[in-house]
Amino acid sequence: MMSEKKAIRVALVGRPNTGKSSLFNRLTGLNQKVGNYPGVTMEKTMGLSKWAPGILAEVIDLPGIYSLHSSSKDEQVVMDSLLNENSEEKIDVVIGLADGTNLKTCLFVFTQVIDLGIPAVLAVTMIDEMERKGMELQVSKLSESLGVSISLINARTGEGIEGLRANVINSNPSDKAPFFQPGGLHLQWIDKVLQDKKFDLIYKSWLFGLNTPDYNDLINTTGRSVARIRADEAIKRYRIVNQWLREFFITHPGKDRRWTARLDKWIVSPVWGSVILFGLMFLIFQVLFFGSEAPMNFIDDQVANLSNYLTKTLPSGFLTHLLTNGVMPGIAGVLIFIPQIALLFGFIALLEESGYMARVVFIMDRFMRPFGLSGKSVVPMVSGTACAIPAIMSTRNMENSRERWLAIAVTPLITCAARLPVYALIISLVIPDQSFFGMSLRGIVLFSLYLIGFITALLGSALLNKLMPKVKSNPFLLEMPSYRLPQLRNVGIAVINRTKSFVSEAGKIILAISVVLWFFASFGPDKSPDFTKDHVAIPIEDSYIGKMGKAIEPVMKPLGFDWKVSIAVLSSFVAREVFVGTMATLYSVDDDEVSSVREQMAKQKDPKTGEPYFNLAVGISLLLFYAFAMQCMSTYAVVARETRSHKFAAIQFLVLGILAYAAAFFAYSLLA
Amino acid sequence: MYLSDLKIGQKAIVLQSPISLPVKLYEMGCMPGEEIELNFSAPFYGPMCFRVQGTSISMRRELAELVPITDPHSKVSNDV
Repeated sequence: MMSEKKAIRVALVGRPNTGKSSLFNRLTGLNQKVGNYPGVTMEKTMGLSKWAPGILAEVIDLPGIYSLHSSSKDEQVVMDSLLNENSEEKIDVVIGLADGTNLKTCLFVFTQVIDLGIPAVLAVTMIDEMERKGMELQVSKLSESLGVSISLINARTGEGIEGLRANVINSNPSDKAPFFQPGGLHLQWIDKVLQDKKFDLIYKSWLFGLNTPDYNDLINTTGRSVARIRADEAIKRYRIVNQWLREFFITHPGKDRRWTARLDKWIVSPVWGSVILFGLMFLIFQVLFFGSEAPMNFIDDQVANLSNYLTKTLPSGFLTHLLTNGVMPGIAGVLIFIPQIALLFGFIALLEESGYMARVVFIMDRFMRPFGLSGKSVVPMVSGTACAIPAIMSTRNMENSRERWLAIAVTPLITCAARLPVYALIISLVIPDQSFFGMSLRGIVLFSLYLIGFITALLGSALLNKLMPKVKSNPFLLEMPSYRLPQLRNVGIAVINRTKSFVSEAGKIILAISVVLWFFASFGPDKSPDFTKDHVAIPIEDSYIGKMGKAIEPVMKPLGFDWKVSIAVLSSFVAREVFVGTMATLYSVDDDEVSSVREQMAKQKDPKTGEPYFNLAVGISLLLFYAFAMQCMSTYAVVARETRSHKFAAIQFLVLGILAYAAAFFAYSLLA
Repeated sequence: MYLSDLKIGQKAIVLQSPISLPVKLYEMGCMPGEEIELNFSAPFYGPMCFRVQGTSISMRRELAELVPITDPHSKVSNDV
């Protein structure tokens, strides 16, 4: 990135649901990049753009907050960013956001920001709604009282954005600040913080001291608790804000929330609310599952065509083989997820933008709570039945990092679409086609596998929640935003950004693993493929994967798996459905048709007993192994990317592997 | 009386609590002296959603059981 001139660093600070991301999108366009704050899994979104000749602005979208004082580690990010004096990260100007239809609580936070002495401007959003509701704000009077300039913004149309940019460029610290002055009682500890941290303003010390546990003891010597002191500050600030609004703001409370109240009557009612919620979740599942089928097949076909074309045109050799059998499947493995990711993020953005997501949390909270989750984890759980990749990415919309970690940890247990071909093959092999109380026995087994997935995911989450050290977490306090028509622009940008970050970040890992697996499957310790011939592959049992399958046979024996099954299980790490193809290769089935693979497998005999090898014990053992094991390199890649921790992904992989092994072991010992 | 005792559509005034409540409650606008109304509550003893200072706030029932309010039938709250 070119930077002959230093960019001004502008931070967006405001409550959630104030149109912060709309404004951010307006200010930066598509030129956004996503990073992470240290210590939390929260996203840090930044965008660089040129605002005027010679003026570059780096806009940072800080997480939505209700106060600069943090109630959780996630919220502390905002205070840390604003207090950061490091020249590389120092915020030059703050744009405070205020929803024009809900000014009071927004102005409360903004007065805190102003008191930090940072140049600031106020952006009042939702002005079209204010007009409709007959609200009037005397902008110049409020601006004078605040000591900063105010811009009225319509993020939908872009109205007011140019003026806001100009205000930011000309901004100064407010000359009316501070709006809150800590009393004499507190001067002693404030002075200590001031000396320790070399702050230039008393309010910075106040804020830092109250949010840093090290100072708790000192603060307690005043005889007041931190909570009490913060509450006093809130009361004092609200008093000033209320006075401003009484003078400068005209509102008609009756007109205010008619639509929202009317819709809520249906949406949160026990019967209709559940119908709407489950209807929507069902729709999302259907679209993810079936709607993505055609585009996924299309991508699959195109990559296969390209791969065939390359095989034909390029001279055969090592590089061609690497390209067509290692790199191309990796690229296919990345591209194949795009339809699902785009669809799911489109849905989620619509749910968030419309205000419905808050209602999902509200309705489902009671049911998810015992497992350490809140209503928000319903979305990854439902999406996980299609594919864990978009499901894990969807946890980004959770504000609570603890809950997010829990959801990421257990989502791979949900039965995804890739398990279906494996389940179908094995069930048809070992479960007789009988009916049981009028229901198909095979259907019951399949349904039980889905149920096992859900139950272990929920119980796993509850267990992890117990094991994880208790931290200072957000009390469950959730704002219910008014319903709004979603802005397609925001939905589109969300979809593009998510897809882009998946391709560029998780894509790298998936591609790398694919190439490594290609090497293990194509080369063996004693044999290497003959690249000069048409049919270059060496027998799979001679490859490294084949050798590994044989080497781990003793380990897999207690599960009832012979070396062939072990090889199939190993190669399933690419993706579970590869099991079917590997079985076809191992049993020399010419085509990949499931029916012919099943026939071959059914013919296999146990060398000792002479009975069919794939009996109930082996089948159930395999089914359970696939139910629990995280045999999916893409899931591993996405977990590592989303948690920013390969350690997390590795431990998850290991724990789920052990769980799978144990379950398969017990099932086999019991049934064999 | 506590917030959890309100019926849908009933209004009352928030009172000073003798015990320490989450500060976020205050910072979101739910503080002593303010008028508060129950919008709706979730089924099966789930969270409750109140309207105070122009914002709708949801909280779990056990928190609502701790926030003291005036009697909604008393005069103070009815004339608003």
